[in-house]
Amino acid sequence: MAELGRAALVVCLGLSLYALVAGSWALVARRRRLAVSAQNALVAAFASALVGSIVLVVALVRHDFSLVYVARLTSKELPFGYTLSAFWGGQEGSLLLWLLVLTGYAALVVATSRRRRSELLPWVVPPLALVAVFFAFMLVAISSPFETQLAPANGAGLNPSLQNPYMVAHPPLLYLGYVGLTVPWAFGMGALLARRADEAWIVATRRWTLVAWTALGVGQLLGAKWAYEEIGWGGYFAWDPVENAALMPWLAATAFLHSVMIQEKRGMLKVWNLLLVILAFGLSLFGTFLTRSGILDSIHSFTESSIGPWFLGFIVLVLTLSLGLLFARLPLLRSRTRLESLVSREATFLYNNLLLVALCLTILWGVVWPLLSEAVRGEASVVAGPYYNFFLRVFGLPLLLLMGLAPLVAWRRASLRSLGASFAWPAGTAAAVAVVLLALGAGSSPVGLLAYTFSAFVLGSIGYEFVRGTRARRSLEGGTRLQAFSSLVGRNRRRYGGYVVHAAIVLLAIGVAGSAYDTVREARLDRGERLEVAGYTLTYLGTTERMSANARELRARVAVERDGRDLGIVEPGKNFYPVEQQVSAEPAIRADAMSLGDLFVILENSNPDGSVRLKALVNPLVNLIWLAGLVFLAGSLIALWPDPAEERRLLERYALAPA
Amino acid sequence: MLALSVAAVLAVFLVYVSFAGGGTPAVEPSELKGRAEVVVLSGQVVVGSVQTSGEVTRFRLRDVKGTATVPVTYAGGLPDQFKAGRDLRVNGQLRQGVFVGEPGTMVTKCPSKYAPKQRSS
Repeated sequence: MAELGRAALVVCLGLSLYALVAGSWALVARRRRLAVSAQNALVAAFASALVGSIVLVVALVRHDFSLVYVARLTSKELPFGYTLSAFWGGQEGSLLLWLLVLTGYAALVVATSRRRRSELLPWVVPPLALVAVFFAFMLVAISSPFETQLAPANGAGLNPSLQNPYMVAHPPLLYLGYVGLTVPWAFGMGALLARRADEAWIVATRRWTLVAWTALGVGQLLGAKWAYEEIGWGGYFAWDPVENAALMPWLAATAFLHSVMIQEKRGMLKVWNLLLVILAFGLSLFGTFLTRSGILDSIHSFTESSIGPWFLGFIVLVLTLSLGLLFARLPLLRSRTRLESLVSREATFLYNNLLLVALCLTILWGVVWPLLSEAVRGEASVVAGPYYNFFLRVFGLPLLLLMGLAPLVAWRRASLRSLGASFAWPAGTAAAVAVVLLALGAGSSPVGLLAYTFSAFVLGSIGYEFVRGTRARRSLEGGTRLQAFSSLVGRNRRRYGGYVVHAAIVLLAIGVAGSAYDTVREARLDRGERLEVAGYTLTYLGTTERMSANARELRARVAVERDGRDLGIVEPGKNFYPVEQQVSAEPAIRADAMSLGDLFVILENSNPDGSVRLKALVNPLVNLIWLAGLVFLAGSLIALWPDPAEERRLLERYALAPA
Repeated sequence: MLALSVAAVLAVFLVYVSFAGGGTPAVEPSELKGRAEVVVLSGQVVVGSVQTSGEVTRFRLRDVKGTATVPVTYAGGLPDQFKAGRDLRVNGQLRQGVFVGEPGTMVTKCPSKYAPKQRSS
């Protein structure tokens, strides 16, 4: 079995290498058939990566502990679903998933671009193949999932923290996102190689970028939900380098999704868009590097990691090649037009881009600060929550405001009178909300008040856009309001899908800003003792213990009351995993429909005398964050949904453009 | 226009960095000597050193690569991944030769990185 897996990876490496060399030579020598053969090699590389992956899945399912990877990450007792998810539980499997997703995307790119007879395809193959060569090489030579050993009787089991449904879905989605950013990068590079300065590469990759960006966004929210339920400290995001690693490429991709619209409409920002796509792809490699190399624990452990130096080398190579190519093609990339006014749709997009990139780079600075400070001053120092929160406010609040402003401002040059008319509605909403919040005493946190006022403004402006659009469509076509509404969204999926995503971001902002109003209480309780937290009364009743398939589960029984009303019993606890020799906190979370928040109870400690230490948090509005995830997905799907009419229009536009 | 905006962003950044300083020093036990300020201490929990009395945990932390150790007391809830032999990070300061950790600041490495040491082949 293991031989088959190893062989599949070697074949995959060979095919990728062939696609790189033959694909490049075909371009130099202008040999069309060789170019087609290189494209086929990429598709075949996907097939062999798939064979390798199937071998690993089969080995996992059959508990084949003669594979080091299987023995290290699973055990006979591990439930079936988690046995499958152990595929990406360790480094080698994660790399294999990267390769599988990458070659999968590449095969899809080849198939769809052929159907559309895209002239860019031959130019896109070498960049895609380059990345595939790197990952296949790592899997063959440096970090193979198919290393064998004399099979032990049982495996070591999966880290209990990873035994959570969200952890089954979170890594593959993140990889779909990380790896997906390879596609727009490859198209951008292909366009530069082909000396095409038009928007063909952007049109070709819009949907790819959206898919990657959506997966990355949803994946991060699932990760946050996992941290919230599984790590059990009552929060969902802690600016951990691993979390930042996924946030940074998402921010860069968000900037890219906005700025490409300016290039499509006005032919501006060509160089900027290429820089963004290089940044996004570079950060996605950097993110994989961060999580896998151990560099952040210290520079010293980095040199010991088997894959760290290789990754760093590859990132440097990719950045050098990309930026070098961009520099060489600069004369081709002059804008056709200039910014006409600082009050225009383009200008708001530009501000949005600057803020997103500034936020992204300050996070990057914070992440690498320990390394920089150690290199420069000889002593490492770290920045933590306050640093990131400061910049999130400084750059995030204006971003929030812009999200409400941009849809109201016209392209090219906005007149103040038209601005005033469209502002009345949203600004009125925001002012009303601000007054109500002030009366309720939300002024205690000026930042929170500002965030909520801006949020109201954005929602007002989105609502206004929908109402205005529906009215216009109805006066044009007649019919009911509902018909006009669906026709409006159906004909401008990208725009109105975008607004739905904006609404999701507002929900997210409201949920996150709600943490300013969190309450935390902690106490050691004997049986029958009480703990009061933000209107709740918790009474500790005693502990129970039960055995599950692979763990001993300790639970504290805690009765919950509010305003004299009995709300039932919650059971925070800890699971003890004998095979893995580990503990896992299992907090009790009780949602409250009124505040859209949670009562979150953690069993910190259980003492031999029967007493326990309980920590209870009341997190208002936190459930809006998860709701935001659903709205985000819905908005993205609306924007993503194929729109044949638009496709045709764009294709015609670029088919006529000079190459 | 672009230059101005970039300058504004940079200015905000520099103002913050100059007021808030360059972060908290991150040290290992061997670098702890003679320091009184709050630091982020990272190291490996020495096997056999962990003692719990009531809700206070005492253990020794060792340089990840090295032999220097320091006694640590920690009065907060321990993270799930806490275990002898694990690498962790905790904020706190040295008081009379004992590193007193701030409750709630202890973090162990991301579980995705918990692969046992690879045998060098």
